Amino acid sequence: MGKVLRDLFRFNREFAAGVILLGFVVLIASLSFVSPYPPNDSFVVPPDLPPSWAHWLGTTSRGQDLFWLLTFAIRNTLLFGFTVAAISRVLSLVIGLVAGYAGGIVDRVLMSINDTFIVLPLFPILVLFYFVMRDKMSWILLALVMACLGWAYDARLIRSVAMGLRTREFTETSIFSGMKMRQILVQDHLPYVLPIVFSTTMNNINWSIGLEVTLSVLGFTDINTPTIGVLVYWANQHTAMVAGIWWWIAFPIGLVIVTFIGLFLLAVSMNEFIDPRSRLSRIG
Amino acid sequence: MRGYPAYLIGRLGQFLLVVFIGINIAFVVTHATPIDPVEQTIAAATQFGATSPEAIAMMRQSLKELYGLEGSLWEQYATFWRRVSVGDFGPSLSAFPAPVSTLILRALPWTVGLLTVSTLLTWVIGNLLGGLAGYYLRSRTLRFAGILAMALHPIPYYIIAFVLLIVFGYLWPVLPITGGHTMNMQRGFNLAFIGNLAIHSILPITSLVLAGLGGWFMGMRALVSNVVTEDYVVYAELGGVRPQRILGSYVMRNALVPQVTGLAMSLGAIFTGAIITEQVFGYPGIGTLLVSAVHVGDYSLVLGIATVSIVAVSFAVLLIDLLYPLLDPRVKAR
Amino acid sequence: MTAPALSVTGLRAYYRTSHFGVEREVKAVDDIDFQVGVNEIYGIAGESSCGKSTLIKTIAAAIRPPLKVLAGSVVFNFGGRAVDVYRAGEREIDGIRWRHLSYIMQGSMNVLNPVRRVRNSFVDFAFRHIGRSTAEFTRVVVDHLKRLHLEPEVLDAYPHQLSGGMRQRVAIALATVCRPEFIIADEPTTALDVIVQKGVLAMIRDVQREIGSSLIFVTHDLAVHANLCHRLGIMYAGRLVEEGPTSEVFRQPLHPYTQHLVSSLPRIGDAEPKKGLEGAPPSLADPPSGCRFHPRCPVAMDVCRGNVPPMVTVAPGRRVACFVAAPESRP
Repeated sequence: MGKVLRDLFRFNREFAAGVILLGFVVLIASLSFVSPYPPNDSFVVPPDLPPSWAHWLGTTSRGQDLFWLLTFAIRNTLLFGFTVAAISRVLSLVIGLVAGYAGGIVDRVLMSINDTFIVLPLFPILVLFYFVMRDKMSWILLALVMACLGWAYDARLIRSVAMGLRTREFTETSIFSGMKMRQILVQDHLPYVLPIVFSTTMNNINWSIGLEVTLSVLGFTDINTPTIGVLVYWANQHTAMVAGIWWWIAFPIGLVIVTFIGLFLLAVSMNEFIDPRSRLSRIG
Repeated sequence: MRGYPAYLIGRLGQFLLVVFIGINIAFVVTHATPIDPVEQTIAAATQFGATSPEAIAMMRQSLKELYGLEGSLWEQYATFWRRVSVGDFGPSLSAFPAPVSTLILRALPWTVGLLTVSTLLTWVIGNLLGGLAGYYLRSRTLRFAGILAMALHPIPYYIIAFVLLIVFGYLWPVLPITGGHTMNMQRGFNLAFIGNLAIHSILPITSLVLAGLGGWFMGMRALVSNVVTEDYVVYAELGGVRPQRILGSYVMRNALVPQVTGLAMSLGAIFTGAIITEQVFGYPGIGTLLVSAVHVGDYSLVLGIATVSIVAVSFAVLLIDLLYPLLDPRVKAR
Repeated sequence: MTAPALSVTGLRAYYRTSHFGVEREVKAVDDIDFQVGVNEIYGIAGESSCGKSTLIKTIAAAIRPPLKVLAGSVVFNFGGRAVDVYRAGEREIDGIRWRHLSYIMQGSMNVLNPVRRVRNSFVDFAFRHIGRSTAEFTRVVVDHLKRLHLEPEVLDAYPHQLSGGMRQRVAIALATVCRPEFIIADEPTTALDVIVQKGVLAMIRDVQREIGSSLIFVTHDLAVHANLCHRLGIMYAGRLVEEGPTSEVFRQPLHPYTQHLVSSLPRIGDAEPKKGLEGAPPSLADPPSGCRFHPRCPVAMDVCRGNVPPMVTVAPGRRVACFVAAPESRP
């Protein structure tokens, strides 16, 4: 595993770029633990200062140091993405593995439901959810709902891998040796789908962060927990762009774009690594 | 039963399933949550002054009726379906007494138009460029396009629209950044008005195209680089079939088949992107209506839009599914 | 003997790949010489992944990266007009394709475009050679199909509507409709069941006889070779190891590998189980030194380990690359 990662880093430019970009983002997020200012305190520094040595990324109209605020925001945003991805992984793994292994009518039923969730327009549903929850809305609740709605695409990918595994010899051996379906799936099949789970995780984090940013910017989340979207929401509330406080918007947007591209590059390089053809020529 | 009828019935079943599950989710979201929309509306209506308790009680009763919240949960469920099936979502609170369905019908053409034009553009351009990039792997221009697609693809609709808004709204204000047409302009079927519509749609369409292009590009490039190794393509090359014919009728044509399924599959996400983009540019479609409905606390309008979105997207998916056999003759034999 | 229809000299073609910093070179075709006469059926035999298909691709000018031709020449002779495949321009090669040189491919079940009607495939491949009006073109095609006992209705079908054997027949009809002088057939019957196989083989022979073309026929199935081919070349690990008239190769195989192949053919009345060859075929990425067969060869000598046996003529029409069978070729 260590060698694989090192080789990927050395010979796969996408992987290297992804690791560097994401490393940068994680570094920024981890700086939040040494922030001199608590995230929700306002008017601790002079407002509306442009970037300078004292305040690297300037200050907001609410008297916050943008750099340190940003460390909290990106940390919460990443945490949100990981939470959604972690929960939805469980769903997509169970459904993908079972559908791929069982085949037949079970597969057809599960995939019909699966396709339904792929096709459903999620944004209006999420807005509706916010509308009835209003002040009770918290990011953990939103993460839960998004995980319940966003597992389907990845379940389909996992299923297609699992379908190939079902016909492999070791599966037969396990069946004849009397292993239960749960045992076969967990012990035999799970290791094989892990690479694709990894790559779908990156894409899923991207997707959930994207929707979270969108909902937050519109104010449709808990606007008191700083995330990248909430930051932009407050900037818009203070008409930062018109007032010329461009840094308040530019830096959060820039950082979240770096996050998107970093995660995506990791997913892409992982996919290339999974692709059996490129892998064969590598092992062989 | 096999062949085309079986395919049709399968797709129709899938359509009904999507509608069924979608509407149920809408019902669960609105009825299983601890928050009572009636109390919320009352709180919103009474926050600017005292209202007599009798008036509040009357208001509560009529709102319950209006929102279909009377009786047991089963009765509410039945009422919900009855209203959905006839498209009756009650009157809008914010634009009282206009019915929700009228408001939605007024906004829908804008969204459908925006969505159709931008999706077609995205799909055609993305697949064309991606296909060429997969076929001419050595071309520098297309490789550069690939890097661009890779950088654009992961950025969500909202961010792209927002960046465009900033660029063309503040840095280089040459294009209208809000509205579907200039306010108070005489509507009509004339050049001036159509030109005005077109100019206003440039930014929304551009941001939708930019956000969607990368996915089709990369998908098609991967598909084409697989298809070129297929026996029938190699054989056609050995047979000296004209290169343009090979690229068009052999490579692209076969690679497009999964891309049509892909279009049907991603329509929900594209729709989400479109209504988000609308909101950024104040385009008078469903998205803008939805966001303003949330801000003014119009329960029936939000619920109506969510429901109509689910039905409309599933219907569009069904349309693509019905056209699919035209592209892939093998469907009839499956 | 008149000028051969095809001369292959010193042909060498390798796959070169580089992935994650690992360079690999697969020596799929190494120093191969042979000739195919006019109106002759030349068989190429050998186990799977011995380089047969690569040799065919190289001859057919169908190479794509990572496959590369490093040395040698492939020269066709079409009625006095010589075409050197790796020196001719793309336009010239394009001009001989299908008109003079055509192919029946491995897995030719999948050679027809799945979303195109058979009629259009005929138009794509053959119209520019047959030309004339659409109606006349159709008449030529239908006549050709009739000769091959195919109904004209197949023209309006999509490939998936035809059975496997049917698709194979259509593919052969497509490959021969321009009456090419040279046909290359790469395992055209491998995927078919025995009964269908027999019909398809008969069809190939009939077509070859009728239009008088030369044919290279590749398969690992020696029984098919015995039935069809005039001359036979045996390949092992990217090299040609023996060549001769089919009947002689079967009656008196010279190379130890050929002897093994021939003796492993089932014969009626056999009681003893067949003995397999020890060891596995070598990896072409890292072939053994000297004679590539020596690690598995029952009669290998020291000289076989360090020296590559050259292909030498031992009798009229018989060539072999073996220090045991041709002692005079030892260094």
